[in-house]
Amino acid sequence: MSHIHIDVEQVSFGYEKGKEILGQISLHASERDSIGIIGANGVGKSTFLKLLVGLNLDFSGSIRIEEIPVEKRTLAQIRSKIGYVFQDSDSQLFMNTAYEDIAFAPRNYGLPEQEVDRRVEEALRMTGISHLKEKQIYKMSGGEKKLVSIATILSMTPDIILMDEPSIALDPRNRRNLIRILNSFEHLKIIASHDLDLVLDTCERTVLMADGRIVKDGPTDVILTDRELLEENGLELPLCLQGRTGKAE
Amino acid sequence: MNQINGAIYEIHHMDMLSSRDQWVNRVHPLVKLVLTVVYISTVVSFQKYDVAGTAGMLVYPMAVFLLAELSFADSLKRLRIVLPLVCFVGILNPFLDKHYVLIDGIRVNGGILSMVTLILKGVFSVLASYLLIATTSVEKLCCALRMLHVPKAVVTQFMLTYRYVTVLLEEVNRITQAYMLRAPHQKGIHFRAWGPLAGQLLLRSVDRANEVYESMLLRGYQGEYQYMRERIGFVRQDLAYLLFWLGVFAVFRMWPVILVVGGLFS
Repeated sequence: MSHIHIDVEQVSFGYEKGKEILGQISLHASERDSIGIIGANGVGKSTFLKLLVGLNLDFSGSIRIEEIPVEKRTLAQIRSKIGYVFQDSDSQLFMNTAYEDIAFAPRNYGLPEQEVDRRVEEALRMTGISHLKEKQIYKMSGGEKKLVSIATILSMTPDIILMDEPSIALDPRNRRNLIRILNSFEHLKIIASHDLDLVLDTCERTVLMADGRIVKDGPTDVILTDRELLEENGLELPLCLQGRTGKAE
Repeated sequence: MNQINGAIYEIHHMDMLSSRDQWVNRVHPLVKLVLTVVYISTVVSFQKYDVAGTAGMLVYPMAVFLLAELSFADSLKRLRIVLPLVCFVGILNPFLDKHYVLIDGIRVNGGILSMVTLILKGVFSVLASYLLIATTSVEKLCCALRMLHVPKAVVTQFMLTYRYVTVLLEEVNRITQAYMLRAPHQKGIHFRAWGPLAGQLLLRSVDRANEVYESMLLRGYQGEYQYMRERIGFVRQDLAYLLFWLGVFAVFRMWPVILVVGGLFS
């Protein structure tokens, strides 16, 4: 078995007793997997990602990251391996400048300042935002904030990347930039998104969720071209596969 | 710019000032914190009629303003809410304090002197505090507090409160903007909407604050900025800066430097 992997076995979770948001989820992901998690609003995609990093621990079943069980005593160890990009960049960014925010994680992990600087520069270069290095976060546009959010996790050099709706707030050029960044990341990545075109461009495997359960797990080009399956679960074909008929039907 | 946007801007502006690469900004935060506390203690320790002695203490804020290249006018503008309050505190002294003090054989109303002294003390203390936060980031200040063994829970509370103030203000801004767009003929928020709006604000702020905290946890935060201590080492210049100002405060406290210097020219 490869070094980097995630094992989720029969996981169920609910914020309130008797109201299950996720039910009997099982998933195995290995080192070079790129997985898109898709589903209509409120099916539990974000909640599932949060369980993987231990932001909610009251689940039943088992989650193991590289053979380490997700539980209170292992959180620091697990979180050092995973980079998590929040849906809302304003929740992710809390320092004054892009540099300070990107340097936050490497500094917390006790790296020497020279190495922190190298990692920040590298993360800025990878996301193509070196020019934003000293810019204050509150002066940034939504797209700029999203790219800085991604850079904040790249500076951790994580084994696994989890992204919750990463293409929100991005204009076409930045979206293309995001696709390039995601495709250049060689380790395991899991992307929860409504943007099926993004999933099509970046993920080889897709997990379709509905009502807190996994409905289908398979190759992206099979699932995202199955119009019937998608429509049954509140989705549509990716825009690039819908064809252009001149006017909306 | 509405009031809330203005407040958010002010907070970000203070962050920007404290993150500049000025010489004073690089001085060890513990030195600046200790100096500020000693300065304020020294200022308030002057006798109530000792206007000249108290006025002499202006030397510290003046020097820091110059060293930090901060605009004095901008600072006064920022302190426009606090300064009148400080001045107002002593306004009744001329009526309450009927003593007379002899200065060079001239009888002066003690109430006026004590009012001036009180105003000077208040203004100088506010200026010193302003200079501290304008030249030191909150993270560095928290680090200095931890070095003084202030409990971790108190320091974390202070730091996160500062971070969440903007979160709260942004939520207030969103809610009031959404309200005003649908109530164009109202001057303010109708009292019937106060309850639901306050409830919404609380719930949303808690959610946002929780997400910010989660984001910190996911990037290795474990209760305090461990790395700060290593980054802000104590160097010889810090010690020299500390000793120099402690000396200046002692001299100005023990001798009426302003009167001595004035005497040289008279």
